[in-house]
Amino acid sequence: MIATDAIVAEVTVFDRTGTMDHYNIGVTSAAFAGKTLIQQHQMVYRALKAAHSDGRIHAIELTTTVAE
Amino acid sequence: MSEQLKQEIEAEVGANKILVYGKGTKDAPRCGFTLETIQFFNNFGYPFEVVDVLENMPKREALSQMTDWPTLPKVFIDGTFYGDTDVLGPMAEKGELQTILKNAFGSEAPKTTINLH
Repeated sequence: MIATDAIVAEVTVFDRTGTMDHYNIGVTSAAFAGKTLIQQHQMVYRALKAAHSDGRIHAIELTTTVAE
Repeated sequence: MSEQLKQEIEAEVGANKILVYGKGTKDAPRCGFTLETIQFFNNFGYPFEVVDVLENMPKREALSQMTDWPTLPKVFIDGTFYGDTDVLGPMAEKGELQTILKNAFGSEAPKTTINLH
């Protein structure tokens, strides 16, 4: 889902509750360079927009890291 | 998004230096993340408001559009959107949030400070 926004990123996903709708997500991408933390998170949320809107995802704990 | 909702949100954001849109109220949060955010700001000691939008789907949709942020809670400080504790936590660790709060509140001391005068 995250890759559809054409951001090259390394993504880790952990299903926190076993219900497939509460996730811990870690995204590492060079596209985050020079962006504030809020902008980085907004980039990921934009990529996940469809899944949020239709209810596939309820909650995310998000961690973003700038790729070296 | 209706213009009326947008104006309502802008008025609320403008009237509160720290504003949390969440699920439930400050005294009775109805979501773990909203509770976490309330506890987070309780620790800072500055006054903040929580607006319950759990049942207000049009307002939640308007908020999401305005912020490019799909989830609750949503935190505004001094009129600027800062996301949730996933963003604010790391900012606090780096001391950035403390600077933002100091600038927002000026000389107004957090209430956890004991003032002996």
